[in-house]
Amino acid sequence: MAYTFKWSVLWTGESGRWLVQGLLTTLELSALAWLVAVALGILAGALRTVRFTPLRWAATAYVEFFRNVPLLVWMFFWYFGVPPLLPRGVQDWLFNHGAEFWAGMLALGVYHGARISEVIRSGIQSIPRTQFEASLAMGLTTFQAYRLIILPVALRLIVPPATNESLNLLKNSSVALTISVAELTFQTRQIETYTAKAIEALTAGTLIYLVLCLSIATIMARVERHYAIPGLIARVEPAG
Amino acid sequence: MTKTLAFVVALAVVFGLSGPAAAQQDTLEKIKSTGVLTIGTRTGSPPFAYINKNNEWVGFSIDLVEQVVKPSVERAVGRSIKVEKKESTPPTRIPLLTSNAVDLIAGTMTDTPQRRESVDFSLTFFYTGAQFLVKKGSPIKSINDIGGKRIAAQQGATNAKILREKYPQAQLREFPDQPAAFQALVQGQVDAYTNDGIQLYGLKAKAPNPDDWEVVGDFFSEEPYGMAMRKGDAKFKAAVDAGLKNAFESGKYFEIYDKWFGPKGELPYPMTAQVRAYLLKQIGK
Repeated sequence: MAYTFKWSVLWTGESGRWLVQGLLTTLELSALAWLVAVALGILAGALRTVRFTPLRWAATAYVEFFRNVPLLVWMFFWYFGVPPLLPRGVQDWLFNHGAEFWAGMLALGVYHGARISEVIRSGIQSIPRTQFEASLAMGLTTFQAYRLIILPVALRLIVPPATNESLNLLKNSSVALTISVAELTFQTRQIETYTAKAIEALTAGTLIYLVLCLSIATIMARVERHYAIPGLIARVEPAG
Repeated sequence: MTKTLAFVVALAVVFGLSGPAAAQQDTLEKIKSTGVLTIGTRTGSPPFAYINKNNEWVGFSIDLVEQVVKPSVERAVGRSIKVEKKESTPPTRIPLLTSNAVDLIAGTMTDTPQRRESVDFSLTFFYTGAQFLVKKGSPIKSINDIGGKRIAAQQGATNAKILREKYPQAQLREFPDQPAAFQALVQGQVDAYTNDGIQLYGLKAKAPNPDDWEVVGDFFSEEPYGMAMRKGDAKFKAAVDAGLKNAFESGKYFEIYDKWFGPKGELPYPMTAQVRAYLLKQIGK
């Protein structure tokens, strides 16, 4: 009656290849979504701090709309809701060229963009107003002040919460399996289908996510040390 | 000597109780003490197990449990019990069983040799095979027409596996549940949806416009449905099988079949002579 473990299912047959494929899809999906999220996050985060009200409102609307609806719903929205708005020919082309991947990538990127923008905003708001005023006094435009002074400092301040958000994004990529993206969690389920060994398959998936996230966290800790702003109380002591 | 023996026995009892063997409780014992038989079943697979218009969780598989398996288990444990239902899907059903969250999977699960390595199956209670659901007038008429086409399947289902292995020329898209796969078919994300024929008929009958859809092709797989249990629990399996066997013998099974699949049933699907012979062969008839 006891469950008999059979770990060999993870490397016999096609399991190994599936896991590698799943891992690559997860990385590709997450990396592209991360780029979208960071771009949208910086844009919306910065716009939420500017003086021009319509822009601030637009950014606020984006953030509140996208972060307050479950990611699963966004997956369905981009996969089932958006294509019917496109011409039939475009739809067919998309469906034959990985529509589920792009829908999943946009769902993930736009959703996390809204969340990352809040991280960026808090970074920007922790910078004394006088720095912004000083840059204007130096003759910079608002755009130049943000690009050259405010954002570079803000981005150095927000490395820890941004790491957090990036790890979340990576793990949330598994939701894309609901729209048939064959990422890592999908492949672990695949192994379960073929071997009926669920616990082994789930363990393999868990360990791969863990290793991925720990590697990212380690790299980001180095980035944090490297870019820490000297003199601030939160400064991480150099290693060694 | 006796002291040593007693010590060894005590040790065995202690380790036995704390070890994994005892954690895997005897299912009949568990049902006897709790008075509940917990089953894992589907919510969107008419007419086997689904939520109907009145928001009731019903179906052929559920009726079999309520009217056939439950009385037999009650006889085995010597008390009245009630049936509790939990949702299970292809990817979750085996873990639900092995983690003791449910005692019996009674939905639309195909009995396969691989699955038999992890769970035990009852007698077969339904027999079907994989076909395709397409929009009426679709160029797909059988499995020979699926090359280059986008085909939806349910993840974790046997037919997805067959397509991947034997028909790699089709573009397979796997969804976690039937509603999502059907939605993809309705909107044209896929050209056809494959599942066990009977489930496709069920889906078609429940669609807003049943006449827009067609079930096509011969069976390209054999799908005998069984109820799944934790492996090696012979007493519980005997009770479940005894219930089904009685129902085949007394004709109760065919009454329930008629209720769901008869001419006036939820989904008319006359039982072929072959299927009838297959089912009865299991009880030596």
